[in-house]
Amino acid sequence: MNNFNDKKNKALKVLSEPKDSKLITYLNSCVHCGLCAESCMYYLTTKDERYIPAKKVELVSSIYRRYCTFTGKHFPKLTNARELDEELTEEMTDLLFGACTLCGRCTKHCSIGIDIAYLVREGRKMLTEMEIIPASLQSTVNAALTTGNNMSIPTEEFTDTLSWLEDELKDEVNDPNASIPLNVPDVNVLYTLNPREPKFFPLSISAMVKIFYAAKESWSLSTKMYDVTNYAYFTSNNGEAATIAQRLYDEVRKLNAKRCVLAECGHGSRAFRWEGPNYLMRTYPFEVLTSVELLAEYISQGRLKLDKEKNKELITLHDPCNLVREGGVVDEQRYVLKHAASRFVEMTPCGTDNFCCGGGGGQLAMSEYNERRMKNAEIKAEQIRKTGASIVVTPCHNCVDQLMQIDNKFKLGVKVMTLSEVVADAIILE
Amino acid sequence: MFENKVPTKLFTNMEIDGKEFQVDGDGFLSDPYIWNEEVARLFAKYDGIEELTEKHWAIINFIRKNWEEKGMAPMIRSICQITGVKLKEIYQLFPLGPARGACRVAGLPKPDGCV
Ligand code: SF4
Ligand code: SF4
Repeated sequence: MNNFNDKKNKALKVLSEPKDSKLITYLNSCVHCGLCAESCMYYLTTKDERYIPAKKVELVSSIYRRYCTFTGKHFPKLTNARELDEELTEEMTDLLFGACTLCGRCTKHCSIGIDIAYLVREGRKMLTEMEIIPASLQSTVNAALTTGNNMSIPTEEFTDTLSWLEDELKDEVNDPNASIPLNVPDVNVLYTLNPREPKFFPLSISAMVKIFYAAKESWSLSTKMYDVTNYAYFTSNNGEAATIAQRLYDEVRKLNAKRCVLAECGHGSRAFRWEGPNYLMRTYPFEVLTSVELLAEYISQGRLKLDKEKNKELITLHDPCNLVREGGVVDEQRYVLKHAASRFVEMTPCGTDNFCCGGGGGQLAMSEYNERRMKNAEIKAEQIRKTGASIVVTPCHNCVDQLMQIDNKFKLGVKVMTLSEVVADAIILE
Repeated sequence: MFENKVPTKLFTNMEIDGKEFQVDGDGFLSDPYIWNEEVARLFAKYDGIEELTEKHWAIINFIRKNWEEKGMAPMIRSICQITGVKLKEIYQLFPLGPARGACRVAGLPKPDGCV
């Protein structure tokens, strides 16, 4: 039992010694208006009230009241304050890990602006302090920590893959000197990858290297640290998240690149660009941007010549939650598609109000909650079906995988592509 | 006792054509060693692949062999180079991709990462 008490005390420190003043404000603010309910896919697809975002907030704030407020300490029943016991940790695990994609849609709809997804992450942090973490999620973090990438790809296999892709590039652009530069210092752009690209889905690498070639970019990949993902963001283990972010930081510094460009990866962009400075407690002495912004920049500066008639099929766009709601990268992907594709249709809703694909927040990796994830997917499937599009484009590899599963399960008959793949298909080489 | 509450991999039963299999939440076989060709056929059918062609088998067998020898799924490059199947064709043969599609049919545990 002592064991549990030790862990409990560690978890309570998340609330009693908050790292951020907004935590307490948010924990004290919910007015129970219920407006957030309709924003959450988990609630919408099941009508199960446990899934209402405010209930997730309540889990964390009831503990806060019990241990950190006068009335809660002395009259817990009066304030619905709850003891952090095993039963509650099970409930928290089930709802905060198992029933939230950290999509942030509820945050946007909350009548008083509570950052609900942030409170869910703080709740996850408490569980992580107690070492209660879904096994599938932690094993991906461990793979990254011990092997340098989250799919444990050996360096030799990685370089073999790149030289194979380099041969394809030479063929594609009909230039025997075309190359994929590795570990080159002092370049303009150090590019990153989601390990699933070299491992299983390299079309997006082929697309980006063709784009760099066409834009005559000075760029490189690192064979030591190229992984854009950071699964410790999902477990809210800030120490581990910092270790992973630090590695990328060090590699950009070592190679002395001017810009670090993040591959099409929503949570990875968030973890390095927007959360990273907090994890590392420093600002970056180099520029960090997403590949979506880079593509928009190339097009606006005339560095890519595109023929949008090369992409004739009707395309729709799925906005990754982290890019639109956290990063404010909303117009760039539309600007790119306007120039790279001839027929485009929006989903409803879209942009900052878009629904999550269902695979965010680490859900894609957590087989424990697979059934719920695919139940949520009903919403995205319907959204896609209504557009009538035959291609769904999304600048996030995690979303790509979830969308492929949605396509298969709901028999949509659509093709899923990344943004760079659409752009690469439209390129005219001089 | 408390440790047991930590969520570990949960397994459920999945039925295909009257046959029961113990799988993880994503439908990957809980015990990769009970895999055989019939499992492959049934898992493929579950994903909507009615018939496994020679190319399917070349991919499945190579993935299986790589996993048995090296303990992990092979890189897509090796799959293409060893089986001679073109990259884009692999995605057509296995609509869920090499991981959730081919590796699952080959009886491997689910790979880590964004798959
Ligand atoms: S962040 Fe998204 S999934 Fe989580 S509670 Fe809010 S709306 Fe629901
Ligand atoms: S919308 Fe905000 S204030 Fe209203 S119930 Fe939900 S979390 Fe509470």
